[in-house]
Amino acid sequence: MATSMYSKVDEYGFERPESFDYNLYGNFLSQYIGVLAKRAKRWGDLKHGDRYKKTTTLKRFVRKGIPSSEREAVWMAISGAETMQRRSNLQYNSLKKYMENKTITEMIKIDIPRTFPENIYFTNDNILPQQLFNILATFAHHNNEVGYCQGLNYIAGLLLLVTKSEESSFWLLKALIEEILPKYYIRSMSGLLIDLEVLDEFVKKNEPAIHRHIKGVGMPWAVASTKWFICLYAEVLPTETVLRIWDCIFYEGSKVIFRVALTLIKIHRQQILEAKDLGEMVDCFRKMGQNFNVVNCHQFMIEVFKTPSSFPNRYLEKVREKHSSILSDK
Amino acid sequence: MANRTSAAQRPNGSTQGKICQFKLVLLGESAVGKSSLVLRFVKGQFHEYQESTIGAAFLTQTVCLDDTTVKFEIWDTAGQERYHSLAPMYYRGAQAAIVVYDITNQDTFGRAKTWVKELQRQASPNIVIALAGNKQDLANKRMVEYEEAQAHADENGLLFMETSAKTAMNVNDIFLAIAKKLPKNEQTTGPGGSGQGRRLVEGDSGAKTAGNCCK
Repeated sequence: MATSMYSKVDEYGFERPESFDYNLYGNFLSQYIGVLAKRAKRWGDLKHGDRYKKTTTLKRFVRKGIPSSEREAVWMAISGAETMQRRSNLQYNSLKKYMENKTITEMIKIDIPRTFPENIYFTNDNILPQQLFNILATFAHHNNEVGYCQGLNYIAGLLLLVTKSEESSFWLLKALIEEILPKYYIRSMSGLLIDLEVLDEFVKKNEPAIHRHIKGVGMPWAVASTKWFICLYAEVLPTETVLRIWDCIFYEGSKVIFRVALTLIKIHRQQILEAKDLGEMVDCFRKMGQNFNVVNCHQFMIEVFKTPSSFPNRYLEKVREKHSSILSDK
Repeated sequence: MANRTSAAQRPNGSTQGKICQFKLVLLGESAVGKSSLVLRFVKGQFHEYQESTIGAAFLTQTVCLDDTTVKFEIWDTAGQERYHSLAPMYYRGAQAAIVVYDITNQDTFGRAKTWVKELQRQASPNIVIALAGNKQDLANKRMVEYEEAQAHADENGLLFMETSAKTAMNVNDIFLAIAKKLPKNEQTTGPGGSGQGRRLVEGDSGAKTAGNCCK
């Protein structure tokens, strides 16, 4: 009936999946728009001059979602990207001039048309793909330890779709990789290997039955979750949900990735336990983004901050350290 | 449009004979067409710009060989060098591997040789390895000679075909050739279960869900 009310493409140019339930979405949206409007008004009072300062009020607000008009400014402020940009004696435009390593530029060039090939903004003009190339190639030359890691194309691509600014996207990418996230993207990908073990431990502790069943069918975490860490749920969950997650990652750091992982697992407990073999299990994880409880980003984020209720950084660091030394002993 | 051949159809429930299940892994440099080969084989589709695989993907497809149904559990891996540290968990216990290179890019052939070496050293001793020179539709930009690859395959006891995920050339054939070469008699294997495919009984949950990722 009302399916034609909503475009098949979301606000950021991504096609909605075939199974998308437009009626449910309509119900959710009519409420959510009200929530957004109310919050947008209150966001106005939070600015100090033209800046956002990290305060407990701002943290609470960020958890409830940053209005899309303010996302670039707030992300720049809470991620530390703005400070980094201000204090750096490097200018993005001068960094951009150094792209002499052909191995790197060729590698990135191949991945540009493979980044969001179904997104209308990436396929319908040449500006965005060129900007994406500039960001990735500039960063790869700027940070030798990381260079170019596949997966960063999706992060930079989504940053670009949201901020519509090549320069802001560069600084946000730099803040994420160098300040906020563990060493996921370096050549050894050690941070990823550690966090896959950490995830295993958390699931075992929080959801022992699920953990047993997943081990039983023989699914390695790397299969289901590499993209969770590497792409920060881009290309995995619906765009609006991903952006709400990123709002919190920029403010609170990488522990949010685990909160989301544990919430996804909790929400899909039944389906996971019913998966009879590896194929069904992988399929179950692959389809999590289509679940309406995940599309409903507002409710989903409320769940995320209950899972678990308290999650101190210090605890996460301790578990990471433990697995780091286990892995280096191997 | 070349779609699935009759040889690559799913069992229809009336299948007689035995069902064997094998783990197959695809390895090779980034952007040589690993995911495209799988997409062609499993869904009969081709995308000009296939999204890069982050981590790995898992799909299944069945082929019928005389009285045997061979179910492939396919692990499609990320090609970029740095994802290499994750690869052993996918080829561990695999009974078959397709090592893919791009015939228009000599470096990818070099990388394919390295993968073959690694598999011979680290994977199950009886693993069936096929070498696939993909993007055969771009033969006018060829940088790797057919004879060179064939010679390498002969020296190392590999199956070899040039393939095109785009035109479907040799895609089903290479999987079929592997299926033919895999041992289908049930034998007990040593710890780790490497070597033989698990035999599934008709009506077994594993058999019923064959191809469930093919939707």
